[in-house]
Amino acid sequence: MSRAFALLRRRLLGSIPVLLLVVVGTFLMLEAAPGDAVDAYLATSGGGDAALIAALREAWGLDRSLLARLAAYLWSLAHLDLGWSVTFSRPVLEIILERLPTTLLLMGSATALSFGLGAALGIVAGARPGSAADRLLSAGSLALYAVPGFWLGLVLLVLFSVELRWLPSGGIESIASGLSGFARAADVARHLVLPVTALGLIYMALYLRVMRAGMAEAWRMEFALAARARGIPRRRIVLRHIARNALLPLVTMLGLQSAQMLGGSVVIETVFSVPGLGRLAGEAVSSRDTPLLIGIILMSAVLVIVVNLAVDWLYGLLDPRVLAPGPA
Amino acid sequence: MSGLRRLLGAPGGLLGVALLAAFLLAALLAPLAFPGDPQAIAGPPLLRPFADAAWPLGTDRLGRDVAAELAHGARTSLAVGLVAAAAALALGSLVGTLSGFAGGVLDEMLMRITEAFQTVPGFLLALAFVSSVGPSLAVLSAAIALAAWTGPARLARAEVLSIRARDYVAAARVAGMHPVEIALREVLPNALPPVLALASVIVAQAILAEAALSFLGLGDPNRVTWGGMIAEGRTVLRSAPFLSIVPGLALVAAVLGVHLTGEAAVEAQAARRSLA
Amino acid sequence: MKRQIISRRGVLLASGALVASGALLRIARAQAPRAGGRLTVAADSEPRNLNPAIVASNGVFFVASKVVEPLAEASFDGPDGLAPRLATAWKGSEDGLSVTFALRQGVKWHDGKPFTAADVAFSALKVWKPLQNLGRVVFKDLEAVDTPDDHTAIFRFARPTPFQLIRNALPALTSVVPEHVFGSGDIAENPANNKPVGTGPFRFAEHRPGEFYRLEKNPDYWEKGQPYLDEIVYRVMPDRSAAAGALEAGEIELAAFSMVPLADLARLAKVPGLKVVPEGYEALTYQLVVEINHRRKELADRKVRQAIAHAIDKDFVVKTIFLGYATPATGPVPKSSKEFYTADVPATAFDVDKANQLLDEAGYPRGGDGTRFRLKLLPAPYFNETRQFGDYLKQALAKIGIDAELVNNDAAAHQKAVYTDHAFDLAVGPPVFRGDPAISTTILVESGIPDGVPFSNQGGYANPELDALIAKAAGTLDPAARVELYRQFQRLVAEDLPLINVVDWGFITVASDKVMNVADNPRWAVSNWADTWLAT
Repeated sequence: MSRAFALLRRRLLGSIPVLLLVVVGTFLMLEAAPGDAVDAYLATSGGGDAALIAALREAWGLDRSLLARLAAYLWSLAHLDLGWSVTFSRPVLEIILERLPTTLLLMGSATALSFGLGAALGIVAGARPGSAADRLLSAGSLALYAVPGFWLGLVLLVLFSVELRWLPSGGIESIASGLSGFARAADVARHLVLPVTALGLIYMALYLRVMRAGMAEAWRMEFALAARARGIPRRRIVLRHIARNALLPLVTMLGLQSAQMLGGSVVIETVFSVPGLGRLAGEAVSSRDTPLLIGIILMSAVLVIVVNLAVDWLYGLLDPRVLAPGPA
Repeated sequence: MSGLRRLLGAPGGLLGVALLAAFLLAALLAPLAFPGDPQAIAGPPLLRPFADAAWPLGTDRLGRDVAAELAHGARTSLAVGLVAAAAALALGSLVGTLSGFAGGVLDEMLMRITEAFQTVPGFLLALAFVSSVGPSLAVLSAAIALAAWTGPARLARAEVLSIRARDYVAAARVAGMHPVEIALREVLPNALPPVLALASVIVAQAILAEAALSFLGLGDPNRVTWGGMIAEGRTVLRSAPFLSIVPGLALVAAVLGVHLTGEAAVEAQAARRSLA
Repeated sequence: MKRQIISRRGVLLASGALVASGALLRIARAQAPRAGGRLTVAADSEPRNLNPAIVASNGVFFVASKVVEPLAEASFDGPDGLAPRLATAWKGSEDGLSVTFALRQGVKWHDGKPFTAADVAFSALKVWKPLQNLGRVVFKDLEAVDTPDDHTAIFRFARPTPFQLIRNALPALTSVVPEHVFGSGDIAENPANNKPVGTGPFRFAEHRPGEFYRLEKNPDYWEKGQPYLDEIVYRVMPDRSAAAGALEAGEIELAAFSMVPLADLARLAKVPGLKVVPEGYEALTYQLVVEINHRRKELADRKVRQAIAHAIDKDFVVKTIFLGYATPATGPVPKSSKEFYTADVPATAFDVDKANQLLDEAGYPRGGDGTRFRLKLLPAPYFNETRQFGDYLKQALAKIGIDAELVNNDAAAHQKAVYTDHAFDLAVGPPVFRGDPAISTTILVESGIPDGVPFSNQGGYANPELDALIAKAAGTLDPAARVELYRQFQRLVAEDLPLINVVDWGFITVASDKVMNVADNPRWAVSNWADTWLAT
C-alpha cells in the first residue's frame, strides 16, 4: 500500500510540468473568451448600471491585469489552494468534492459496465472468429459505436422513463426523500441505470471490438496453434490463453478512455440532470469561472493518473513479463 | 482493381462502401438537388414525412424542408469530419515525426505537451475552445482536431522510432543526406500508412463530436448540421419525433459507413500484405 | 376566497383577455383548499445570489419570492393592480417628495424577531438604493426613510418622484430583508444572500447545488391558515426538454416560465392529468426586440430601419415561433400594460415590396448577386424563441436583399459583444416590461448610457426629442399627464424605430391537475404561493 502511495506521489510530482501546461493553457483560453464572469452573471440577473458593474468587477478581482490574475492563481495553486469560484462564491475544492462522488459513481459504473460487458461479449465474438455470433456482435457493436451518446440517452429516457415509467427521468436520487442506508442506495442505483447505460453502451462497443480484434490476432500466434495441435479443449484455450492475451490491450484502452469518458459525461449529465463534474464543467465554461474549470480539469487529470496507475498494476498482474510500470 | 474487390469482399465492406457512397453523393449533389438556401422557409411548419410530395421528409418547426436540410447537412458533416481529421492527422504526424526523429529535449517537450492534451478530456477541451472563440465551421473543426491529434502523434512517434533504426535510414545517413531530408523523404512516408489507418476512426469521431457540440448549442447557425437538427428537433421529440430521428439515422448511417469502409480497407490491406 | 376567484374570472372575461380555459373552470369549481403536501416544481437555473432585494430578476424571484416578501404584490382586481403584502396601505404626497407606507402588524421574521419599519428603512436605503440592479434607478433620489413608529415608513425624496412609478415598482423592487441579519458587515457577501431569511409563507430549508432547493412551511405566517403546502421542492433541470418528460412521468407537478417547449404544449394539453395554463404572467411581459446598431451607416437611415420592420411578418412569428402564445407588438410598451399602452401609433405592416422600395429609395440597390449589403445578426441565446426568431429574421432579410450572418454566442459572449463592444449590426433581445416604462423600458432608447450596461441602448442611437420626452415623463407627477407623455414616447419610437418591437409574450405554466390556484395573480410564478394547494 505504501509502495503504491509512493508511486502515486512520484507520478503526481512527475506530472507537475504537464499539469502546469494544462493550467496555464486553460487559463489563457478561458480568458481569451469574449465576456467575463460579470458578463455571464449580468445576463442572468437582469442587468445593472455602470457603477454597479464596475463595483462587481472590482469585488471579483476582474479589474486586475491578466498576468496579475494568472500569477495570483498560480501562487494559490502552489499552496495547494484551488482558489475561489466567483459564480458560486465558495471555494473551488468544496464545490468539486461535493460533485465528485456522483461523477465517480457514474463513471465507475459506466466503466465497469462497458469493460465487463465489452470483454465478455468480445470473448464470445473472438472465440470463433467468423462465426455467426462473431458477425452479429461485430456488426452490432459497430452500429452502436456509430450512435451519438446524447441521442441514445434521449431515446432511453423517452422509452423507459416517460413511456414505460420503469425508471426515473433524471437526477441522482429522489430529491429530499429522507431515505437512508440500503433504501437510499437502491434509490441511487435506480437513478443510475439510464445514464450509466447510455454512457456505458457506447464505450462497451469499443471494448468489445478491441477484445475481439486482440483475440483474432492471438489465434494466429504460435502458442495458440501449438495449443490446438496439442489437442487442448477449445474452451480452455479460449479462456486461458487467447482471452488472457487479448485482455492486455483492453486494459491499456481502459487507461486511455478514462479521460475521454469525463468528456462524454458532459452531455449525458446534461440529458439526465445528473449533478456531476461534467455538467459542472459545462457551467464553468458558460459562466467564465476560470478557477472552477481549471479545478475540474486538474481533478480529472489526477483521476486519469490514478486510473493509469491502476492499469499499470493490472498489467503487471496479467502479464508477468512486465516488471516495471509501463510508460505513462 | 483487385484492391477494391478485396475491399468489397471483406465483411461489411459492401455495406460500408454503399453507405459511404450515399453519404458522399448526398454531400456532393446537395446544391444541385436542392438549390438555394436549405434554411429558407419553404412550406408550412411541422409537416410529417411522406405527407406531401413537395416535402418528402416533411418540414421543421419553421417550415424548412427537412430533405434539403438533410442533404446540405451531409455537406457540413463531411466537411467538418474531413477537415478535422486532416488537421488532426497532419498535426499529429508532424509532432510525432519531429518528436521521434529529433529525440532528446525536443522529444521530451513535445511528449509532455501531448500528455497534457491527453490528460484533459477531449470533449471538454473542444467545448471550452468553441465557447472561447465562437462557433463557426472552421472553429468547430479546429476544436475537434485539437482534441484528436494526440493519438496520431503517439502512433507516428512509435513508427518513426522503429523505422529510424532500420537499414535504409542508416544508409541515407551514411550517404550524407540532411536529417530533415531523411525525415521527410525516408521516415515519414513509411511511418504514415499506419497513422492514416486511424483516419476513418477520427473522421467518425469528428462527425459525432460536431453533433454533440451542436446538441449543446455550440453549432454554426449559418450552416445546417445534423447535430443542430437533432438539437432543434429534441424540443419536439415527442410531438414530432421524425425531426430528430431522421437526422439521427443519417448520422448513424454515415458514421457506420465510414467505420465499415475503414475497417474493410484495413483488412483488405492486411490480406494483401499476407499474400505478398 | 371563492368570491375573489369569481370576480377575477369576471374581470378577465369582460376584458376579453382570454377565453375561459379548462384550468379556470376547474379552479372556479374547486372546493375548500386542503392543507398539506409537497409541491415539486422544475427550476432551470440556480442563481448565484438568491437575495431578491439585491437581484430583482425573475430567476431569483421564482424561488426567493416564497421566502422574502415585497411591500405589495401585483393583483388582478386590487386597487391600482396591487394587493397588500408587508405594507397594508400607501399614499404619495402632492409634491412627489414623500410616500407613506402603513406596515403590517404582528409579522415575524423566520428567525422569530419582529418585523418593523426599521427593516423597511434599512432595506430601502442600504439595499435597494445602493445595491439593487433596478432600485438604483427608481430610488436614486431617495434621501431618507422616517419611521415615526414601528409600523409606519415615510420615504423622503430629494426630487419630485412620481408616486405612480413607486407604486408600479412595489411588486418587483421592494423585497424587504431583515436589518438584524444584514445590518453588519458587507451586505454583498452576507451568507443570507444564499439562505434567505424573510417573512414569507415558506422558510428556506436547504439547497443541494445541481439537485434541488427545498422550502418548508412557515407555521407563523401572518396570513392565518396559510400557506397550504407543507413544502415546495425545486428540482434543478438545466435541460429544457427534461421538464416535459418529468411532468409526464409524474416526477414533478409544475413547470413554469415555459420550461416545457411551446411546440410540445399541444400534445401535453391532451395528456390526462396535466393542464396548460397561459395566464399568470400578465405583469411579466417579455418583449421580442430587434436591437439596431446605429453606428452602421445603412442602419442610421430611418428608411432602412423601416424596410427591416416591413420585412418582418409578425403574424408568422406569433403563429409559428410562439405557437399563438404571443401578441404582435406595436411599440415599446406591451398591450398587457393597460395603464400606459396606446394602439394609436404609426404602424409598419408586413410588406416586402414596400421594404424593397424603401431600400431602393435609400440608395442601396441590389448587387449582381441580389444582395444590397451584409449584416451581422446576434440573437440572444437566452430563449429558444430568440434563437428561432434569429433564424427567421435571417430569412426575412434575405427576401429584401440583406444578407445577414448569424453569430451564435453564449450568454457571456453575447453580453459583451452587444452591450460593451457594440460588435453587432442587429441583435435579437428579450427585454422585460416591468410595469412602468421608467423602470427598464426607456433605457432601451435613451442616449448617454455608458458602455457595458446590459439591456440598454448600446446601439448609439441619440434623439434629443425622445431624450427630452423621457426626462420630462420621469419628473411628471400627475399620473394622467405622465401616461400621456409615455403615449407620445410610444408614437415617437414607433415612428423613428430606434429598435423594432416584434411581439410581446408571457410564459406558459404546465401543471398537474392537482395543483390548485395556479395563475391567480399577474405575477403568479414569482409570487408567494401562499394560497396554492394540492388536491388529492
